[in-house]
Amino acid sequence: MKLFLRGVDALSSAAAWLATWCVLFACAVSASNAVTRYLFSVGSNAWLEMQWYLFAVIVLFGAAKTLRLNGHVRVDIFYGALAPRGQVWLDLVCLGIFLLPAALLLTGMSWTLFAESWRIGEVSSNAGGLVRWPVKLVLPIGFALLALQGVAEMVRRAAMLTGALPLSTQYERPAT
Amino acid sequence: MVANMAPIMFAGLIVFLLIGFPVAFSLMALGLFFGFIGIQVGLFSPDFLSNLPLRVFGIVSNDLLLAIPFFTFMGTILERTGLAEDLLESAGQLFGGVPGGVAYAVILVGAIFGAISGTIAASVIALGMIALPAMLRYGYHVKTAMGVIAATGTITQLVPPSLTLLVLADQLGKPVGDMYAGAIGPSIAQTLIFMLYILVLSVLRPHWVPPLPVEARTLRGWVLLKRALWGVVPAMSLIFLVLGTIFLGLATPTEAGAMGAVGALVLAALRDRLTRRLIWQGMDSTMRLSSMVIFILIGATVFSLVFQGVDGPHWVEGLLGALPGGQVGFLIVVSLFVFVLAFFLDFFEIAFIVVPLLAPVAHKLGIDLIWFGVLLCVLLQTSFMHPPFGFALFYLRAITPPYIRSGEIYLGALPWVGLQLIVVMLVIAVPQLVTMFFHAGPVVDMDKAGEDVRRQIERALQPR
Repeated sequence: MKLFLRGVDALSSAAAWLATWCVLFACAVSASNAVTRYLFSVGSNAWLEMQWYLFAVIVLFGAAKTLRLNGHVRVDIFYGALAPRGQVWLDLVCLGIFLLPAALLLTGMSWTLFAESWRIGEVSSNAGGLVRWPVKLVLPIGFALLALQGVAEMVRRAAMLTGALPLSTQYERPAT
Repeated sequence: MVANMAPIMFAGLIVFLLIGFPVAFSLMALGLFFGFIGIQVGLFSPDFLSNLPLRVFGIVSNDLLLAIPFFTFMGTILERTGLAEDLLESAGQLFGGVPGGVAYAVILVGAIFGAISGTIAASVIALGMIALPAMLRYGYHVKTAMGVIAATGTITQLVPPSLTLLVLADQLGKPVGDMYAGAIGPSIAQTLIFMLYILVLSVLRPHWVPPLPVEARTLRGWVLLKRALWGVVPAMSLIFLVLGTIFLGLATPTEAGAMGAVGALVLAALRDRLTRRLIWQGMDSTMRLSSMVIFILIGATVFSLVFQGVDGPHWVEGLLGALPGGQVGFLIVVSLFVFVLAFFLDFFEIAFIVVPLLAPVAHKLGIDLIWFGVLLCVLLQTSFMHPPFGFALFYLRAITPPYIRSGEIYLGALPWVGLQLIVVMLVIAVPQLVTMFFHAGPVVDMDKAGEDVRRQIERALQPR
């Protein structure tokens, strides 16, 4: 069990590491797009599209790690009033009936979208735009990682309830 | 049951959210659950749901939403550059001599720093860490000190270039530039109203807001001026870099955000704060926040696609469009509704779930959507302030010495909630405050309003 958890956490962390670097890359790309267009009147659709390719990676590859860190915002009026054990129970059940089916379904559906794009060799309709399938592949990978992390979190919660792991329900509202 | 699917789903929304599982996933589950039921009872075909991945793809390929990580990154970097400290200290020294001086400094610096930092948390924490000890040491009325910091922190929402306005512009389908221009008037009005309140206090209750004693004002003349410029010039340049390029049409709001982030990095370097650790922390919290926020949007999209399938928007329109009083009735009900919702929902949840339901109705009633967006923004500000769930109050609690009771923080915030409600009313009563900065079109379409009234009169006169 420990091995499984460690493996999934490592996978999510690796994806998140990539997503984190994409923040800086996307920033640099977007700022340079504006500057080069203004100074040299040069614009490139490929670079314009690159911005949101990176954005897709930030969002989708970061989701699993954010789940691991309990960083997805909750409405915590009742949740906050529950005893730690109750919170763990609630998470365990909801991970199973909310997150897992949704993440799996979205993985499947977005895989179909990717497969179609791959099959027809889809390229952006903008002149000089990028090939589409890589960014469409980001979606199913991100949702699959999320589903996997969801399973890992369920295992972790179950282990907490049986006492195999210390009870921890650390949740800080994300600072918006 | 088929006919009542929309209200049942809406009730389900409330239940699912209140359970307390992360909002993003509860929304997805709710949408898919009702999608399944909808298919079973024949409301729509299974094909209907196959639009879903395209919609999700539409979210990540949305250029405007890409500004979310950029503005967040800019804020997280600025938070750690010591800019707020410099601004506050020099402003405090500058105004310290007059009664209420530190409070004025907090309000002004809050408005400037809020413009570029973008998060209420950063603002409240920065202001609270620096100004609060000084205020308490020199005998400020505790509740007033608490109130001014919490309230000023929330200005962040309204002062352009704010992320809040950008997201609202996206959800309302309006240009970000217009939304920013529209918010200029109200944010100035709010700053002035806050300062006016301090002025009134300094006359009526001078001992609540005492001036700093001479020995606390150590900086004078050139040293003070230099310190002040060292804070103000970079802050103003950043505001111009972001807002100016948008207003002049040199860059898209997204690119402006990216340039702002690069500017923040340069600023950090100039102040010798640019370390690998700082950059990594900034990128890491930006990544998490962006992923969290966009996942709420993905969840909200799943929900709203199915909600459309069960004819939900039509139901909402029937509910809100037929209120007595037409536009005014709509605005009053919506204001109250959003005010109450904000007790337990966060800004992004309201923007992604509720605003798309309200916008078409507002549009049909002839309400200018920019003005509506600014109004929502001012309204949501109050939500960060009112006890017991106000965000700003949580952050303030976190940095306040324990001998100050939570009750004092709550009570201190109340007068400022009142001031914010005055701004809400001002925006409603004087729409020009919003519109004068971007275009001349009427906020309330008089023809349509006249038509409304005429229809109501006719209805009233009809023999029963």
